[in-house]
Order: sequence, then structure tokens, then C-alpha cells
Amino acid sequence: MGRLSDAETATPSAEPALSIVLTGRNDDYGVDFKTRFFRTLRFNAEQLAARGVVHEFVFVEWAPPPQRPRLIDLVFDAIPELDPSTCTWYVVDARYHQALSLNPRLEYHEFIAKNVGVRRARGRFVLTTNCDVFLSRAVLDVFARDALEPRVVYRAPRYDLKETVGEQGDVEWSDLEDPQNLAGPPRRLKPPYMPGGTGDFVLLDRETFHHVRGFNEIYRAARFGIDRNFIVKAISSGVSIVDIGGPVYHVNHAGSYHLTANAYVGRESEAPWGNRGWHSSGVSYVNPPTWGLQHAPAQRVAPGHWHLDFSWDAVPPLVDLNGVVLPAARIGGPYPGRYAAKLHSGSATDEKAE
Amino acid sequence: MKRPFRILGLVRGRSYDALAEQQKKAEARAGQLIRHLEEAKANSRLWKMKAEEASGALKKAQDAAESAQRQRRQAEKLSAEAEKQRQVAQNRSADFALLQRRLAESEHELSVAREQLMAIEVKLDILEGAANVLDGRTRDVIARRSGTESGTAV
Repeated sequence: MGRLSDAETATPSAEPALSIVLTGRNDDYGVDFKTRFFRTLRFNAEQLAARGVVHEFVFVEWAPPPQRPRLIDLVFDAIPELDPSTCTWYVVDARYHQALSLNPRLEYHEFIAKNVGVRRARGRFVLTTNCDVFLSRAVLDVFARDALEPRVVYRAPRYDLKETVGEQGDVEWSDLEDPQNLAGPPRRLKPPYMPGGTGDFVLLDRETFHHVRGFNEIYRAARFGIDRNFIVKAISSGVSIVDIGGPVYHVNHAGSYHLTANAYVGRESEAPWGNRGWHSSGVSYVNPPTWGLQHAPAQRVAPGHWHLDFSWDAVPPLVDLNGVVLPAARIGGPYPGRYAAKLHSGSATDEKAE
Repeated sequence: MKRPFRILGLVRGRSYDALAEQQKKAEARAGQLIRHLEEAKANSRLWKMKAEEASGALKKAQDAAESAQRQRRQAEKLSAEAEKQRQVAQNRSADFALLQRRLAESEHELSVAREQLMAIEVKLDILEGAANVLDGRTRDVIARRSGTESGTAV
């Protein structure tokens, strides 16, 4: 086993146009995670292949529970038609989660896991999304036209569908596009930050993703707002934020943030997503150059399947206060977020639903 | 011979005619004088009326002049007051501009302070999180050590 990082650990084949970075684990997050993940992956893979989009899926299985089978061991049986050469799988040692934690209540460092995938993605463009997000025709058409520009963060509004969608098995276009299946009014992205379900669709060219050093790894006390904070960082770095022109679809499920947020009203400190009121719109960050666990020793388990072993060398400092900086206001760009008193209680409906 | 006729109150015809002529002339002159007198009286009334009118006009003019004088004094007073007010307004305008500048500076300073406060609060979050994590790790180590020392399984 040698220390490998970035492109060295990636599957050696032609550079894909698009890397889709996903993260998850077999922990029944949101009830029946596996089923929801597999049906989404099957759908997206089929649609990308049908349009001839040269792509790869970069999956980061973050700190998988030891007593359960890993997703990598289930996925190809569940989706036999999935081409293994389009998939690169990174299983991250669970000890990283504990070593990185600044809030024991956080069960998942979603954005550090995404950074692991972004760091190692090979595509000219990198899309970070979630395991239960379906791409729309409009989005797929943009990919097929190869119409993406560098130094632009593309965002897509998330349309939430009723929990009953896809209950019978596979999901079809008719399920996704039927207005009757919408769980609420379609969202619209509001410039400049285009918030709302940001983590479900952040697309950027790989070079710029590396230039801004991925999502915030300095502030690890909350899961909420890290995606918004990335947009603040991107704007501060002179990167444009653009609506890609079509939605992505998300089927509601038990445990969705926007369905469970009110469960912690009055006891915010106990919430598994950390402090929602941290200044994610008002500060920026400078990740260490080793962001995305660059120095995590990678052990090749099988073609396209890597295990990132634990090493303290790969763990950034517990505290790196120099990494908290104020965002730059750009001429013609929005002024960074204003100060808002920290949220200690109140309805989650007052907050932006990420 | 003249004297005796006179004594008797008799005059010669020629004298009588002359005297009659003189009487006529005198009467004509008297009538003329009476007319002149009437005209003079009428003129006198007219001039008296005109004099009265002129006197009234003069009075009015004097009143108007007094009023104008009063108004001029009032105008001068108001002008002085206006000048005073203009000076006050000018001073207030300068004060306002100064206050606006100070307000803008204060807003900028407040904005900078709030930005710094945001950064500080985020850093405090990190420090608090780190302190809690280190506290937990220390407790674990101590608990394990105590368990080992006492032979108790942990």
C-alpha cells in the first residue's frame, strides 16, 4: 500500500467531461437509503449514457458502519447495468469522522466527504450532488451540449416530490415531471446567492474547484450552511453563480431536513446538523492545501475501489483560526452577508431551507 | 345859466341823455359785475371743492406714505430676520452635511465591526467545539486509564 492522492488514485482512463460526486453510507439515513440511492443512480446513469455524456461517478462512502454491508459491495448487484468503468469508489476510514469533528452531534461530515470526491475527480467539470437527486432533462441537455463555462458555479433549483413517488419501484420521467407529484410550489433560485437546496446541485469546473479548495473544512461544527458558504467563497473569488436552466428532483422522505427541522425548536444545540445560525453568509474560509484528505493513504481494493486508511498526517488541525476570513466584496457583485444575531430558538421556517 | 336849472332839479336834455346813457352803462356794468360775482362765487365753490379733494388726496398720500414707511420698516425687519434665518439654515446645512459624513463613517465602522464580529463568533464556535471535543477525548483517556488501573472493564 502506498500513499496515493488525487489523480493517482483515480481510474486511469480518458478524462471524462463530467464527474458526479456523491457521498453516503449504508446507515438507513432518511429511511431505506439504499433503495432510494440505487433507483436514483440507475436513472441518472441511464440518462447520461443515453445522451452520450462522458461521465464518471465518484462515490465517497464516508465512515461506513462496520456491522453493515458497504454500498460498494451492493451497488453492482442492485444495478447490474451500471458500468463499473464509470464508477470510482472511495471508502473512508471511520476514524476520520471522529478526528475531524468539532461537534459530536454531527453524524456525517457531508461536505468533507464531498471534498474527498472533488479532490480525486477527473472530469473537466465536477458536480456535487446528493444520492437521491434526479437530474432533469434540461440539465442533462446542457451536459449533452457540452455548454458549460469555466469559472461559473452552476446551480439548479430543487423540486421536492411527494413521498409516494417511486414507491412502486423505478422512477420514470412521467413521475418526475407530473405537476401533481410536486410536494410544494416549484422553487426559484434568487440571485445572487441562489440559496435553497444548494448542496443538491453545485457544478463547477475542476480547476476552479481546486482553486477555491472545495467546501469549508475549517468550520466543522455544523452541517447546515456549508454549501451556502461555498457560494460566498466562490463569489468572493470572482466566480459567477448561474442558474443552469432546469431543476433537479428530490423525492421527500422521512428525515429530510425540511421535514424534520422543527423537531429541534428550542433545543437547537442538540440538532444533528449543528448550529443553523452560524454566519455562513458572512465569512469565508481558506482551507489548507491538503483539503479533501489529500494525504490519506489510499489502498486499492479492486479496480475503481479504494480504501482511504486513517493517518493523522491527513487530518487537518483541530483549530485553524487563520482559515476564517472575511469575504471580499467584488465590484458589481453582491456585498457579503450582513451580521445576524445567532439563532438560539425559533421556528425553522424562518430559516433558509438548505 | 346852468346853475339855476340844477337848482330847480332840471337838467338840460342833452345832459339828461348823457346821464341816462351813463346810468344804462352803470346798470350794464353792475349786471356784468353781478355775473362776474356769480362766476367768481361758482369758481370759488369749485376751487373750494378741489381744495377739499386735494386736501383729501394729500391726507391719503400722507397716510399711504406713513403706511409705506411702516411697511418699509417691517420689510427691513423681515429682511434682517430672513438674513438671520438664512445664516441659521446655512449653519444647519453645514451641520447636516457634517452629521451625514459622520453617519456614513459610523455606518462603515459598524459594518466593519459586524464583519469582524461574525468572524470572531465563527472562531469562537470553532474554539468551543474544539474545547468540547478535547474535553471528551481527555475524559475517555482518563476513564480508560482508571478502568485499567482498577482492573474494571470499560
